[in-house]
Amino acid sequence: MQPLPKFEYREPGSVAEAARLLAELGSRAKLIGGGTDLVPSMRQGLYTPAYVISLQRIADLRGVAWEDGVGLRIGPMTTLREMEASAEARARFPFLAAAAREVGSPQLREMGTVGGNLCLDTRCRHFNQSEDWQDCVEACVKRGGEFCKASPNGRARKCFAVFSADLATALVAANARVTLQSAGGARTIELADYYTGDGASPTAGRPDEVLTEVLVPSAMQGVLGTYLKYRMRQAIDYPIAGVALTLRPRDGRVHDARMVVGGISSRPVIVKGLGALLEGKVLDETLAESAAKLARKSATPLANTAGDRAHRKQMVYEFARRALAEAAHAAAGAGGGEAR
Amino acid sequence: MKQVVQLNVNDAEHELALDPSRTLLEVLRESLGLTGTKEVCLLGSCGACTVLVDDRPVLACLTLASACQGKRVLTIEGLRQGEALHPLQQAFIDKGAVQCGFCTPGMIMAGKALLDRNPHPTPDEARAAIAGNLCRCTGYEQIVEAIVAAPAVDEAARVGAREGGHYLMPDMAE
Ligand SMILES: Cc1cc2nc3c(=O)[nH]c(=O)nc-3n(C[C@H](O)[C@H](O)[C@H](O)COP(=O)(O)OP(=O)(O)OC[C@H]3O[C@@H](n4cnc5c(N)ncnc54)[C@H](O)[C@@H]3O)c2cc1C
Ligand code: SF4
Ligand code: FES
Ligand code: FES
Repeated sequence: MQPLPKFEYREPGSVAEAARLLAELGSRAKLIGGGTDLVPSMRQGLYTPAYVISLQRIADLRGVAWEDGVGLRIGPMTTLREMEASAEARARFPFLAAAAREVGSPQLREMGTVGGNLCLDTRCRHFNQSEDWQDCVEACVKRGGEFCKASPNGRARKCFAVFSADLATALVAANARVTLQSAGGARTIELADYYTGDGASPTAGRPDEVLTEVLVPSAMQGVLGTYLKYRMRQAIDYPIAGVALTLRPRDGRVHDARMVVGGISSRPVIVKGLGALLEGKVLDETLAESAAKLARKSATPLANTAGDRAHRKQMVYEFARRALAEAAHAAAGAGGGEAR
Repeated sequence: MKQVVQLNVNDAEHELALDPSRTLLEVLRESLGLTGTKEVCLLGSCGACTVLVDDRPVLACLTLASACQGKRVLTIEGLRQGEALHPLQQAFIDKGAVQCGFCTPGMIMAGKALLDRNPHPTPDEARAAIAGNLCRCTGYEQIVEAIVAAPAVDEAARVGAREGGHYLMPDMAE
């Protein structure tokens, strides 16, 4: 069997030790959570880190807990299965547990972590290919070449590879924040700002930083949320489009709506103008249709994943419409008063 | 640089000097000769390499062997209890859930992980548990039937054992 490229393996016992290793090794090292993203790409020779640093023995990085006045704290080494089964997540933000459940397959969720999902590499049919295939073609931007093959004329000098993480898309809709720690200190940023939109370098995380916590702020309590995923098969496949929606129903009207679309661009795309369009209104079919059209407008996929571009765009509309219908239904169920 | 790794595979302790880039699948098949765990896509997309690590169903092709230091690994070879097959293996035979057999070890390990957590699954629960395992032959129906039927096979074997019999492997029964 085609072996993995050779590397040294480390298992630091604390975040401080992991940060120290990263400070010392710089971009020669790669962190590994469950390895379900990194190992396949190493197998294809896409990454050849000299050091692989596992976070699996750092107990502090695992678990989901609610803290009053703070929010839902999720350790990055929590597996997707633990996330989908977490009583706290299911009780407070069931759509986050549901989004975790949409990822890959049971085995991938058993291995894959929340942190790995947030830091998932972008994907493209010109990039995620075997070494043999790569050897036969010219390198594109993501592989250090000059041009993007997926761009309409093949001349763009930017990478548009697709960010396809299900849970990350839902967490952006949940206004999550992430904490990044390096040997020099820690910073906390909005998850939405963690994504650069550049397919070749999709996150703002530095090579010396460990993502140490995901926080869904307590102010999000009571929000209604949905995550709907479109894919070819009902398992294993990455999303062709994923639509996350959060809103707060009050007196039969919509407040604070936020829709995020994954699987179509190099970052989770926040649908512009949707919050303003829906604010304070009754979510009827006509309004839902206008909102879904906004979602379609925000989706500008390139020909780099499964499904053709027009179809993907139309599916964003369709899944946005369904998410809004689901939310309208749930809001009506919530009795028009305080959200559940 | 090689690292010494202690692995418990099917209740046997192994101490191996391994290059850290070796996967659990390579070590099982090539170092330990346990070729029941199949190698197909090596990319996490087929489930044929499913084994249980500390009772959790994982893909051996994406698991670094070094990361399994001190953990318990169960492969298809470890299911058999002496001469008797595991009830799920017997159920696969009884229901005709095997054609070419290449997906079978992975299917059985995924099914076992489900039965360990949920001893009486519904057909839909069985389908969800094998959603990450591809089969190109059977059309899945018999596999689902076998997983659902396993508890009854287990019960039959228990009754058989009480009455002094054994549920034998078919070739041994002749
Ligand atoms: C066949 C297949 C199908 C898949 N389908 C889906 C799908 O439908 N939806 C989906 O969302 N994903 C899918 N995935 C991807 C993957 O399984 C999940 O996204 C998983 O959550 C990744 O987590 P991990 O821990 O395995 O990541 P890893 O491979 O361990 O890491 C991924 C990246 O994140 C970095 N990283 C990990 N943890 C941290 C941290 N704490 N701080 C900083 N950097 C970190 C790593 O360095 C690496 O670059 C699929 C994968 C496969 C192989
Ligand atoms: S989007 Fe363009 S640059 Fe990026 S991986 Fe695909 S072909 Fe390469
Ligand atoms: S060989 Fe491991 S999933 Fe296909
Ligand atoms: S029996 Fe042939 S692949 Fe399943």
